Amino acid sequence: MPQRWTAIWLTSALALGGCGGASTSTGPAVITFPISALGAEGRVLVRQLSRFMAANPGIKVVQRVTPDAADQKHQLYVQWLNAGASDPDVLQLDVIWTPEFAAAGWILPLDRFQPDTVAFFSSTIEANRWGDSLYALPWFADVGMLYWRTDLMAAPPATFEDLVRQGKRARATKATQYGMVYQGARYEGLITTFVEYLGAYGGRILDGRRVVVNSEPALRALTQMRDQIYRDGVVPRAVLTWQEEQTRFAFQNGQAAFMRNWPYAYPLMQDTAESRVAGKFSVAPMPAGPGGSPTAAVGGAQLAINRRSEHPEAAWALINFLTQPEQMRERATVVGQFPTRTAVYDDPALASGLAVQPATVRRIIEYGVPRPVTPIYTQLSEILQIHLHRALTRQSEPAEALARAQTEMQRLLNRAGLGTGGPVARR
Amino acid sequence: MRGAERQPGIEQQEARIAWTLVLPALLTILLVALFPLLWTAWESLHLHDLRMPWLGRPFIGLQNYGEALSDPRFWGSLGHTAFFAVTSVGLELIIGLALALALNRAFRGRGLVRAAVLIPWAIPTVVSALLWRFMFEGQSGIVNALLVDLGVLREPIVWLIDPVAAWVPVVLADVWKHTPFVALLLLAGLQNIDTSLYEAARIDGASAWRQFRHVTLPLLRPAILVALIFRTMDAFRVFDLIYALTGGGPGTSTEPIALYTFNALLQNLQFGYGSALSVIVFLITFCLALVYIKILGADLTGGRR
Repeated sequence: MPQRWTAIWLTSALALGGCGGASTSTGPAVITFPISALGAEGRVLVRQLSRFMAANPGIKVVQRVTPDAADQKHQLYVQWLNAGASDPDVLQLDVIWTPEFAAAGWILPLDRFQPDTVAFFSSTIEANRWGDSLYALPWFADVGMLYWRTDLMAAPPATFEDLVRQGKRARATKATQYGMVYQGARYEGLITTFVEYLGAYGGRILDGRRVVVNSEPALRALTQMRDQIYRDGVVPRAVLTWQEEQTRFAFQNGQAAFMRNWPYAYPLMQDTAESRVAGKFSVAPMPAGPGGSPTAAVGGAQLAINRRSEHPEAAWALINFLTQPEQMRERATVVGQFPTRTAVYDDPALASGLAVQPATVRRIIEYGVPRPVTPIYTQLSEILQIHLHRALTRQSEPAEALARAQTEMQRLLNRAGLGTGGPVARR
Repeated sequence: MRGAERQPGIEQQEARIAWTLVLPALLTILLVALFPLLWTAWESLHLHDLRMPWLGRPFIGLQNYGEALSDPRFWGSLGHTAFFAVTSVGLELIIGLALALALNRAFRGRGLVRAAVLIPWAIPTVVSALLWRFMFEGQSGIVNALLVDLGVLREPIVWLIDPVAAWVPVVLADVWKHTPFVALLLLAGLQNIDTSLYEAARIDGASAWRQFRHVTLPLLRPAILVALIFRTMDAFRVFDLIYALTGGGPGTSTEPIALYTFNALLQNLQFGYGSALSVIVFLITFCLALVYIKILGADLTGGRR
């Protein structure tokens, strides 16, 4: 297999380059950890790693810089792990990769280390389970939130009805050009938005081995999304080509009354030099529809151990250290990332670091719902993206789109041995 | 030119030397072109899904091809590719020919104009794709603003979410970028035509149209053929332009076969299925080249001239 050769070549080249193999007969256990080394985030991590090594003289952590772009990182990890490389020892995973890597047998179940799972938000733990085991520990959380303009309304909308009404009013009074903006281009972002509309009506995408997206709640959610665009005119058609940054630009230019986005946008839009809405917005959970509750799609980074690692104990020690409240608080105050441990939010020191009120953040994360937890998430997501986008661009009707998506997704699940009528495929 | 008095022994020797001389080149071609091609063909006969490593890599014969042929998205992408190739190459040929004829006239500043015409071609495709994307952007794009000002549109339309309108920026961007290339090829062809032929035609009383029809066009055939082959094959493999401009959307309604293949191969890491798609694309472009050479005559391979 050519990609295996490439991977072997790559890892050996890196080893020759002095990054160090994990095999050491004497001396400290050397573990490698691929990280992003950018800006403040990189500096915090370096600080934390040196504290860790000072406290654990038997362990030496070697950093390896990897690309920041999720796709590239994923590809690199697949090459390494598929080639059976023993390093890197500790992996930083996107939340949707954990089941994929677990099912491939690439990462170690963490149960034997008895992690303190109850201390974390349950949705962030749930996303990292596969089979009966926990495969990764959530490091920090990303959640979808509703940004709303405090100068245009007294309180954020609790339901989509409210949102539509307030959005219409904002447009009618020429306060804003658009009501609501969200990530609606055909990419992963559309799924996160849909998960939130879907949860608002009490629907789900996957139930174990069955795809259940062709349901009454899903139909209502998708119809709501379409109506907001074409019937109510609250959502501009252009969102169907927009990703995170286009929505942020629209909102920070004062063009929209509401925006669905991740936490990263908050500090950026507080910058008065760039943003026209600095000090004029806040965040809230996404609205709910009848039959469901406010929902936040969960993203963020997880830490896992390479199954071939020669020092799993040392790797666990590092993961355990990095996910301690103290480290999470430091990360939150310097980089603004949301801690995944509930108790950290009770710490008054957190308020000084987070742009958003810790109580609000906690409330939103508690509404967190993982995207379908399955090893073939990426492929399922692609199918759903296409059908949702077709329905939203009026190439197909919502009912037809959902029915087709369900059929195709179930077929893929069955073929992978993860669906109905076949044993669960696992190593 | 070979002399008749040469002995056959020398000829054989020369042939041997010739073969020895081209051998390295042949081996290189074998290594960098044929080997990957055969490897891909072999890979395409396996179920090899890097995102489902638990399924292993079993040999499954032609199943990947069967799956492709029964996949509506595959046929859709093939249709989009054909549509894109026909419209954009057609427009490029017509406009390119007009441009070449204009540039063939002697006028002041011709050198400058010839250089200027090449600018779109010199811009990297991704950059020009983004350029066109911005111009056709939803509410704020300049195209909408212009069309509304001119009264052509009553309100701005979001080009990129309409399965038909989304083709407009795609085809325009490609025509804008590649017409200069076609024009340049045809210009070279025009300059190869002996001017005495036109003089003779004029003396015979042929109108400008007849001159064009019966002198220019037939003699331009080889150049047109070269342009057609290059452009059709390029258009058939179109990837970067659409990737950056529409991403294949809305839905998959502008997705060309190369983007679908890329998706299967590099996003979903379906090495077996993706390889089967690649082989299909290769076969189609290969057949296209054969058809062109057959239909348009032996001009290229050196028949009459």
